[in-house]
Amino acid sequence: MKHKLVRKTVRSFAETELGPIAAEIDRDAIFPRDVVEKMRPLNFFGLQIPREYGGAQLDSISYAIVVEEISRVCAAMGLCITVHNSVGAYPIVKFGTAAQKRRFLPAMASGERIGAFCLTEANAGSDAGAVETQAVKENGKWVINGTKIFVTNGGVCGTALIFAAGVTKDSKKSTNVFVVEKETPGFSVGEREDLCGMRANPVSSLFLENCRLPDSHLLGQPGDGLKIGLVTLDTGRIGIAAQALGIAQAAYDAALNYAKERQQFQKPIASFQMVQSYLAEMATEIDAARLLLYRACAYKDNGRPFSGEAAMAKLFCSTVAGKVTGLAVQIHGGYGYSKEYDVERYFRDAKVTEIYEGTNEIQRMVIARAQLSQLK
Amino acid sequence: MKLVVCIKQVPMVSELPWDSKTRTLKRHLAEGMMNPACRHALEAALQLKRNDTEITVLTMGPPMAEEILREAIALGADRGLLMTDPRLAGADTFATSRALALAIRKYCQDFDLVLCGCQTSDSETAQVGPQLAEELDVPGVAYIEALSIDRSLLTVRRVCDNFLEELEMDLPALVTVSTRQFYPRYVHMAGIEDAFNRADIFKITADDLGLSPEQTGINSSPTRILTVFSPTAEKKNILLKGTPKKIVDQFLDAFDDKITSAIGKDLITRDHLSALKDAESGAGNSEG
Repeated sequence: MKHKLVRKTVRSFAETELGPIAAEIDRDAIFPRDVVEKMRPLNFFGLQIPREYGGAQLDSISYAIVVEEISRVCAAMGLCITVHNSVGAYPIVKFGTAAQKRRFLPAMASGERIGAFCLTEANAGSDAGAVETQAVKENGKWVINGTKIFVTNGGVCGTALIFAAGVTKDSKKSTNVFVVEKETPGFSVGEREDLCGMRANPVSSLFLENCRLPDSHLLGQPGDGLKIGLVTLDTGRIGIAAQALGIAQAAYDAALNYAKERQQFQKPIASFQMVQSYLAEMATEIDAARLLLYRACAYKDNGRPFSGEAAMAKLFCSTVAGKVTGLAVQIHGGYGYSKEYDVERYFRDAKVTEIYEGTNEIQRMVIARAQLSQLK
Repeated sequence: MKLVVCIKQVPMVSELPWDSKTRTLKRHLAEGMMNPACRHALEAALQLKRNDTEITVLTMGPPMAEEILREAIALGADRGLLMTDPRLAGADTFATSRALALAIRKYCQDFDLVLCGCQTSDSETAQVGPQLAEELDVPGVAYIEALSIDRSLLTVRRVCDNFLEELEMDLPALVTVSTRQFYPRYVHMAGIEDAFNRADIFKITADDLGLSPEQTGINSSPTRILTVFSPTAEKKNILLKGTPKKIVDQFLDAFDDKITSAIGKDLITRDHLSALKDAESGAGNSEG
């Protein structure tokens, strides 16, 4: 009953506030700040942050439903919410000291500061250990230099998690994560990327030029970077799976309605078996995707290892989103290829869910690793 | 101050299968939601809320109606009462308002104000609020758009036949709230979490209210629905011919009633004018 109410509430919000503008902010690549202001008091920026820091402390299924329902209407804002919550704020919840949580979380929970997760660089992405951004300790402070690319929420972020390479005491290469606030001298935002989909999200490059930070901005212990990244991405994958599911659901709903309305040969096209076959496949795979996602959420809430399950959910939900949005365009025919219909946007938005927060090739590696470790 | 808000769970879709045997809606086929007008009543109560205010939300319905009570608590209500009993099923507005009145008397003693939505989206009778005021024997006003409370004096405003009406009454009282004001707020996520994890819903049965079998459900409901149908709307082009004066006359003859009911006041037509002229000339004669 709780999850149903969460779904109804978020759906009503998304359809009312984002529905009328989703196509326009995609076309003009506008980040809807006024909608963000309406989202803030509803705890959308503190979904899983503990109460003591101003969050709603939702269970993971509720969290997935929120992301799914926002993405069903506007995937770019679903992306903003999931990245902020799951890879922006969650690492601080999970790995931050009490002082770091008190310092950084309240402003993130209220949405005053939007979070970003900055791992990707020109030569590092799937190979997370290859980051070239440097963090060197000088006179008791960390000095960070480097460039991050394809940063979701980059243009509007207030708090960014920066992955940087360092050297351990025994001269081994290591990775560290720093919490960097936008006011830090030397921190700047680059041009906004002109992307295929998710265009309302200000995905940008970030530049760090001699950013000097004390130890209190280092997350975890020196050298914990990769571990933090991997654990964070397990949670992030739940969010991306939920986002892909929302897009797939929107495309299916549109295709079903269109198939019932569109007449050819004096009949609705839904009466033709080939279209029915598409609809049956779409509905079945969306249902399977949803169950896979909620299983990963349930594992997480029950404290069970969920890395493999989250990767399966991300792999499957995003693959289904790609397939379903493609079929939705197909069912719409020429109209589906036109910007006049929303399925064209869903089709563009879906593709990146197969790429970010771990490409689907990386997901297969994670799943295989989880499977093989069970055999040991 | 003690406020009681009566709310109802209604089906989420407007077109539902109709059960021709029982002449009721097949409600189980639809997702439920809080009746839109009830949201405005709840919002009015929430806007009155101060430190010493207690808001009780009350609903009569199937066990699933618990959801809208939890939603109301998530929005800021303090406690939820669920009247649920198979014996209460099938109640018309008369039986519903009587049962609600019994529950309010028993579980919300010393209430100051009862707030109801002005109508429901599934049956649109707008009767329960005014009937409940009668049952509770308190002053009641329907379709209010503003309210204020000064000690035990309630002042409300409403639009009535294109007039703005301001009314005062002593508490306790009952109002039904128009959907033109008190726009409902969204539920926040922490509120939902608390409403499910920290709040209890108190359940009330027909026995708790001392209702005998004759006094419940369909047995005690004098309303009988004979038939339900969808009104058909029709668009028709009508061509009026002749001189402009004749066209205007024809137009007013045909549509005078419809225009009057749409704009809420009488049109001054040819008949009125000639009547006025007669009156004027009559007056002139008497002067002469």
